[in-house]
Amino acid sequence: MKPILWLASLRHLKRHPLQMALSILGIALGVAVVVAVDLANESARRAFDLSMQSITGSATHQIIGGPGGLDESLYADLRRQGVAPVSAPLVSGYLAQGDQTLQLLGVDPFAEQQFRNLISYLPDKSQESALPQLLTQPGALLMTAARAASLGLQVGQAFELTISGQQRQALLAGLYQPPQQQAAAMQDLLLADISTAQELLGRIGRLSRIDLILPADGSSVQSAIEAALPAGARLVPVGSRSSAMQEMTRAFGINLTAMSLLALVVGLFLIYNTLSFSVLQRRELLGNLRVLGATRRDIFTLVLGEGVLIGGIGTLLGLLLGVLLAQELLALVTRTINDLYFVLTVSELSLDPIGMAKGALLGLGGTAVAVLAPASEAAMSPPRAVLNRSRVEGSARRLLLPLGMTGVVCILLALLLLLPGHSLILGFFALFVLILGFSLFTPAVVAMSCRWAAPLFGRLFGTLGRMAIRGVEASLSRTGVAIAALSIAVSATVGMGVMVDSFRSSVQQWLHTTLQADIYIVPLAPSGTSSETVLDPALITAIEQLPGISEVSQGRPVKLQSATAITRLLAIRMTQKSYAGIELLEGDPETVWPRFDREQVVLISEPYAYRHNLRLGDQIQLETDRGRRTFQVAGVYRDYSSDQGMISMRLSLYRQLWDDESIYSIGLYLQPGVDTATIAGEVAALAAGKQALRIRSTRALLEASLETFDHTFAITRVLRLLVIGVAFIGILSALMALQLERARELAVLRATGLTPGQLWGLVTAQTGFMGLISGLLALPLGLLLATLLIHVINRRAFGWSMDLIVPGGVLLDALLLAVAAALLAGLYPAWRMAQTPPARALREE
Amino acid sequence: MGYEVSLQGVSAKLPPMTKESQKIQMNSHKTQPFIQLQNLSRSHLQGGYPQPVLAGLNGEIQHGESVALLGRSGCGKSTLLNLIGGIDQPDGGRIIIDGVAITELDEHARTLFRRRHIGFVYQLFNLVPTLTVEENLLLPLELNGWPLNRGRERARELLQAVNLLDKVASFPDQLSGGEQQRVAVARALVHQPDLVLADEPTGSLDAESGEQVLALLEQLVAVEQRTLLMVTHSQAVAERADRILTLADGQLDSR
Amino acid sequence: MRTLLIGLLLLATLMGWWLHSHQQPAEAERFSVGGALGGIPAEGFKRAIEPRSFRFPQDHGAHPGFRNEWWYFTGNLRTEQGRHFGFQLVFFRTALAPGEPQGASPWRTHQVWMAHFALTDTEAEQFHAFERFNREAIGLAGVKAEPFALWLDDWSVREQDDGWLLSVAEGDLSLTLKLTPQRPPLLQGSGGLSQKSAGPGNASYYYSIPRLRAEGEVSLHGQRYQVSGLSWLDREWGTSALSEEQTGWDWFSLQLDDGSDLMFYRLRHKDGSIDPYSAGSWSQPDGSLIKLAADDVQLDVLEQWASPKGGRYPLHWRLQIPGHGLDLRISPVIDNQELDLIIRYWEGAIEASGTRNDKPVRGQGYLELTGYGE
Repeated sequence: MKPILWLASLRHLKRHPLQMALSILGIALGVAVVVAVDLANESARRAFDLSMQSITGSATHQIIGGPGGLDESLYADLRRQGVAPVSAPLVSGYLAQGDQTLQLLGVDPFAEQQFRNLISYLPDKSQESALPQLLTQPGALLMTAARAASLGLQVGQAFELTISGQQRQALLAGLYQPPQQQAAAMQDLLLADISTAQELLGRIGRLSRIDLILPADGSSVQSAIEAALPAGARLVPVGSRSSAMQEMTRAFGINLTAMSLLALVVGLFLIYNTLSFSVLQRRELLGNLRVLGATRRDIFTLVLGEGVLIGGIGTLLGLLLGVLLAQELLALVTRTINDLYFVLTVSELSLDPIGMAKGALLGLGGTAVAVLAPASEAAMSPPRAVLNRSRVEGSARRLLLPLGMTGVVCILLALLLLLPGHSLILGFFALFVLILGFSLFTPAVVAMSCRWAAPLFGRLFGTLGRMAIRGVEASLSRTGVAIAALSIAVSATVGMGVMVDSFRSSVQQWLHTTLQADIYIVPLAPSGTSSETVLDPALITAIEQLPGISEVSQGRPVKLQSATAITRLLAIRMTQKSYAGIELLEGDPETVWPRFDREQVVLISEPYAYRHNLRLGDQIQLETDRGRRTFQVAGVYRDYSSDQGMISMRLSLYRQLWDDESIYSIGLYLQPGVDTATIAGEVAALAAGKQALRIRSTRALLEASLETFDHTFAITRVLRLLVIGVAFIGILSALMALQLERARELAVLRATGLTPGQLWGLVTAQTGFMGLISGLLALPLGLLLATLLIHVINRRAFGWSMDLIVPGGVLLDALLLAVAAALLAGLYPAWRMAQTPPARALREE
Repeated sequence: MGYEVSLQGVSAKLPPMTKESQKIQMNSHKTQPFIQLQNLSRSHLQGGYPQPVLAGLNGEIQHGESVALLGRSGCGKSTLLNLIGGIDQPDGGRIIIDGVAITELDEHARTLFRRRHIGFVYQLFNLVPTLTVEENLLLPLELNGWPLNRGRERARELLQAVNLLDKVASFPDQLSGGEQQRVAVARALVHQPDLVLADEPTGSLDAESGEQVLALLEQLVAVEQRTLLMVTHSQAVAERADRILTLADGQLDSR
Repeated sequence: MRTLLIGLLLLATLMGWWLHSHQQPAEAERFSVGGALGGIPAEGFKRAIEPRSFRFPQDHGAHPGFRNEWWYFTGNLRTEQGRHFGFQLVFFRTALAPGEPQGASPWRTHQVWMAHFALTDTEAEQFHAFERFNREAIGLAGVKAEPFALWLDDWSVREQDDGWLLSVAEGDLSLTLKLTPQRPPLLQGSGGLSQKSAGPGNASYYYSIPRLRAEGEVSLHGQRYQVSGLSWLDREWGTSALSEEQTGWDWFSLQLDDGSDLMFYRLRHKDGSIDPYSAGSWSQPDGSLIKLAADDVQLDVLEQWASPKGGRYPLHWRLQIPGHGLDLRISPVIDNQELDLIIRYWEGAIEASGTRNDKPVRGQGYLELTGYGE
């Protein structure tokens, strides 16, 4: 430790507070985004784990069935045969109270004790009467005190619940008090006797599953149980279901993490830039210190230390910011998971220490790496009292070629990395290598552009114009980095913007094709619960008999569970017009449809085909209620509704193989000349008092779907904005530093007779030029990123293919953004220069 | 006019040496010249072509001598000074200071030698702007491993010697040119170097301040028994040295 | 015997069981009878007020209009080599509410069941006890009169040929017995109406089949034993509550080698005094019946046993019926036959020996002791 030496350095930092502040802010934002995304992901995962845990309890295995669940007589049989002595039946489902989605868990208290022991959470004996009530009183259920308070309910009070859009009477029989660590996970859990759950959920005679505790070496017990199971019921270990669900969201998590890393990368550019600049700014001081006897190691340590200090403060700030940001992101992440995957309530952010540590490590480690270059540059400063800049710039220029070459190699490597495989992580790695390559390549491009632009600017703006461009070229070691940082940030926005736009327009086009019916009807139910929501059969019959309707399509989306995966299956009853709504990517419509209507075949969606590596003519096996059945793939169709992929099957085949008569949605095809609004009104009148429905015209459904799309991608948009934010700070600080560094030079010009206005013009021309180059460079990189995101990342993450659509607006916006950022960044230095008497600036150095 | 120099017993307080500086301990052969310059050559790039500045230069300086180096602008005076100070390397030839061939040391060793044995005074003061006057003096001491309390004592002594005790807490930009250069002189001597190199120390000062600085430099060097090599283009300044060396056409001419 | 007291205890234990928790021992506290009574009021249930005419086999089935009902099998078994086993299998039915439940779910019921199974391995001095709970729905538990079937999960007693097949298993322990009645049902109390405390309706309908021949197999830790012996069935149903001061009872059943069967229960008060409603019966091999009132029987405790779980049980007795010249000493086959289940009580195989009218007499049977465990 050399305190005086450190003092010299720290006081320098203190004298340039704006620069330091921007640097710290850049790092802080970068770290914050990484930490926030990580915390949000982790919280969602943890909430999922906890809720799974509180629901599965100590079960080791489960017996599961098809979409309709299990026949309850199976449980009685197992019990009476004494095959599964430690077993508990379960009926679960989702319901709504106001805008809140709650999970109803129907348990058999007599079988519960060894599993969840939920009943033991009843807090005091004064609620004893709740227990017989639960069994004997229809609608009686338990909830947590907090939930009761939020619903404004007292014990003993009757209230209404909405299930599949139908109102059901419930009664708050008592409150339960889960232990602290499960309180959050169980916040949205309503407990009831299994009979109540069956009645409320309309699942009379069915069980959702049977939980079992099998001895560790219970292979004989296991085979005894398996022997007793009817076709369609399967014994699976408990972990498999939750890991299958976790797997669904993996790609989504990786995507978010990658985007957060992009923000950090831009932040690191920023710290690199700041410190390089501060080294350059102090080259005389550093030379002086060397003369006084500071060794190269001293100087290296000094600059590294500065970087780590800035990085440290930034990181610390970033962690705090990250926690705040995570609160916001968590809501968005949860919403996307609910829209795309499964129902999940995350009521609290868990401050995962590992996530925080990762963020801190990335911030500090990244800073250290970013600072290595300026620190060694500083260490190489010769012990000279007076140095000329041209030496530094000379060496920078000599580096142009090797840097450019490395850049090209990186770009090639990136493209090479993309060739094989399905690996999403590799895809992202390639993306980062590509960005790195581009940034290495940038200074060479800047140098070239300067050579071309100088005469042009000279002709346009005279000597001053030429001077502006030469200034950019003369300080290439700074301007190169600044331009690279800005162009990366802008290209990231171009890439993400083009990707989301392309995606959106593909989805829009797909919706136009798919939505063939005139009116769509589904029950009003919380998002993510369609497979558990059922349209009242009597209502369907009534609607079908309305005059003016020519055809009705029916749909039943379900989730098939196996030991290893959850498969989405859509059983549909097609109409004459429905066929046109399915865009076949593989398979000839002439042959596909006749087969679909008659044979034991299925259609699979594009992501399903991608994920399972299936093609036309391949076979898939599904566990049906009649046992395992094999289906041939008759076609592959375009579908953006699930990134997990989907299997479609005709409704009649589904009903042959599964004991499930439910329907979730119907589509009405009207006779010519019949008014949509009239029919919609009649349907509403039929349903009134029976079931709350969502009755939507094609147009309304299209809009609603796009709205869902938009809010599903809200998280992407937010991250994109954050990246731009970090980049903007970066460019602001880089350009500002650059101009402030030239204070003396500018003061000389002022002394020579340049008016403040002219000076302002000079600075503006310079920053504007840099912005323009950044913008122009960002366009090809941005398009390349978009291509990569669409054809590689999206395909690997979600299995969707889509057309690259380049909206002119996005490109123009990018250019404007770059130039505006650059101009804005030039404002302050220009203003300051104009304000400062030249003499003072001259003396300052 | 002039400043009282009182440094009784200062030279007795030898600085503790760091391990590194002990490795390059000078071998004090009183019989040998203190500085030997052997066949030194150095070129600078001018307009892309190497232009010889020093061409096989030879010379010697004795212990305790005060030597002035005269010459025209651009004749290579500063280059020679930088070479002797070890902050530049010759294209050819050797420099031996008190038996150590500094031109053959590596960068790290040369730095350690420099910070132990050499003090610099420049035309443009070259104080560290972010350090106070006292801290500027403490910096070389710190680099040489002095404990802070003893360093502070030593810094105060020298600041008293240059009559700037009242400015200890000032930053360089709060001082006049003459005051800054007096600080620079004090800093050049604070760590008790054997050799003080001065490059036009009065070049940026008015006559009066220049005279003060010069007088101080001479007195301090004399009291502390240091060897002084001072680059100047002023005949008057040069006359005050024990000996004058003139640099012309890349060669030294001793008078 | 086992009056309504045990019914109420059953109710209490059910409630207690609901709250029973391994994780939260503080809440695992067992419930007081009084506390549980708050749960299910007797209103709306039938009461045992006047004598009724019993009809069999119908009355072997359920009487759901009453709140509580039980089927209580106990017995002493021996292998050919004379190795002795005692067993107890009891099914309790409790109605959570009177009448039929509202609601469409087949799980919806007012009838809940509890069963206890205990096996005494006298030679190994081991005692095994288990419990099961379930509801009377979707075939999980219940009773049918014709053909007779009584079950909870895989524990069952079913009609077979001229008798019943008892089948129960838990872990590596199982018991299969063919039970053949040796006597017609014996109506306890006055014509089957057994008054337990003062007040109309504080009574139960109570009958026993004091002798059933038992033959079958005990399987224990992988070993099978062919066994035979005698079993006793107690049947009781009712609704009413006990009086506050009744804290527990001592119930004796004895099959004596002179062919007579003796049952006597003694209701104890908090202050240690004996309730005047204590009663019993002594049926003779010729079919005649001696009714026993509280004063007819003199019971003296000879020796107590301290349960490792707390409480002292009187296990060695002297039972005298001076009016009929009976003097018996009663002792358990092993001391520890305490069931530490949702409620803690002692119920185990006993031996008796003594004199009847100065002639030696021996017997075997079961003893139930409640209210000592606190």
